[in-house]
Amino acid sequence: MSLLEKLEAAQRSQDVLQALGVNAIGATIDVAGSATEGDIAGNRVVLAGTNNYLGLTFDPVCVEAAVRAVRSHGTGTTGSRLANGTYACHAALETELADFLEARSAIVFTTGYVANVGVISTLAGPGDVIVLDADSHASIYEGAKLSGAEVYRFRHNDPDDLDKRLRRLGERASRTLVIVEGLYSMLGDVSPLKQICEVKDRYGAYLLLDDAHSFGTMGATGRGLAQAEGVEDQVDFVTGTFSKSLGSVGGYCASRKHDINPLRAQIRAYMFTASSTPSVIASTRAALHLIGRRPELRTRLWGNAKRVHSALAGLGFTLGADASPVIATIMDSPQQAADAWQMLLDAGVYVNLVVPPGAPKNMSILRCSLSAAHTPDQISQIINAYAVVAEHLMGRPKAVAGGSL
Amino acid sequence: MIPTKLRDSGDTGRFLRPIVMTTYNECVAQIQQILRTTVAKGEVVGEDMDLIDELGLASLDVMELIEQLEDVFDISFPINELGDVRTISDLARRVQLLTDR
Ligand SMILES: Cc1ncc(COP(=O)(O)O)c(C=O)c1O
Repeated sequence: MSLLEKLEAAQRSQDVLQALGVNAIGATIDVAGSATEGDIAGNRVVLAGTNNYLGLTFDPVCVEAAVRAVRSHGTGTTGSRLANGTYACHAALETELADFLEARSAIVFTTGYVANVGVISTLAGPGDVIVLDADSHASIYEGAKLSGAEVYRFRHNDPDDLDKRLRRLGERASRTLVIVEGLYSMLGDVSPLKQICEVKDRYGAYLLLDDAHSFGTMGATGRGLAQAEGVEDQVDFVTGTFSKSLGSVGGYCASRKHDINPLRAQIRAYMFTASSTPSVIASTRAALHLIGRRPELRTRLWGNAKRVHSALAGLGFTLGADASPVIATIMDSPQQAADAWQMLLDAGVYVNLVVPPGAPKNMSILRCSLSAAHTPDQISQIINAYAVVAEHLMGRPKAVAGGSL
Repeated sequence: MIPTKLRDSGDTGRFLRPIVMTTYNECVAQIQQILRTTVAKGEVVGEDMDLIDELGLASLDVMELIEQLEDVFDISFPINELGDVRTISDLARRVQLLTDR
């Protein structure tokens, strides 16, 4: 295929999406002064398709911190972490993150994507093995590919399949990096981390946990899934992002078991890309501070999640997992999902439309994500909008579901 | 040379399977059998057929096919090598090598 033929093929796959009759992918959102409201195509909607789990993007403390930082430190660092781009604030955030996670060290990256690609491709190399959960984020696959290691997938959330893979590796299991996520962002299901840890320990393999969606949302103090499961000392490396619960942009890697500082001079994605803008670091630090001190944010988030989850189950939707901050409704077809998405939007609720090939196992799903900032009224609006879909699109009772209007 | 390796297949309920070096033909036959129930609807597909272009498998289908082969032969297929697999024959040759490890 020539270069430009690839472009044409890409256009054709976009046309397939457009044929569904909705403008769901890359819809432009004008956020309207709050974490939970925005304008899409001129209509005011409740935002239920973000990753703003704790609703901190408009927290006055975080906003003020960013404003102060941009005034005193300027708009950008104009350099990479290893060159002129490490300010005192970057180092302070690393210390604060390590303290919060009770880790030996932490490294801050420009995005979570870059953290995964950089850390994974550097930790593992030719001769090593990576065994990753099949539903892993693109950045994990990308890092694995770049590493030059031999890469295997194990079935999503299946410790027994992981066990088989490690057994088949024989002695090479001790040169293996296992990679899983915490809360999976599409279906809202959670990795069986305790069992994963048990398996990898049995074979002497290492474990990297990408806690992107569980940091801040899970664990007694918000330290994520490993804290919730009581296995923080067994996880070798944790990566994560500032772009979800912390409401900014950036990524990190931390470790309780190993001193990862030497990686700084090895990771190309650390050495050769500009560091985060000081205002971003400032709001991230403020948000991190709040996560530990406002457990009520998590209480509200999970309260909202449970309310929506039980309501949608009651409406007869097929749900992706137990109640969690991400609630996926599995639809019958891409067209039905697209029609439902538009119907929700018309009812003033924005969620994410995920259709093949972007969805796990070729499913068509609507991804609703909750926030601690959603008010009880907004939660009612979300539920009512889904009720409209249930009535018009799926028919009731559920037995006659299928097809579009 | 020990002619027969006894390997635990890892699946409870299955016997310890004597593996006398799976042959290339056995791999082809296994792939054809899986495809017969999925894409080919009872017909035998030729070993030179392209999985995606000719048999119309999506990349997810290919992954599923490989997962089944992994279970049957008790192997793990490296995803780095997916790009080299176009035909049934490519896949069978690769699977055969992996069972031989
Ligand atoms: C599991 C997972 N890992 C990593 C990332 C990348 O994070 P970032 O947005 O900071 O690049 C995301 C978010 O898209 C994610 O969902």
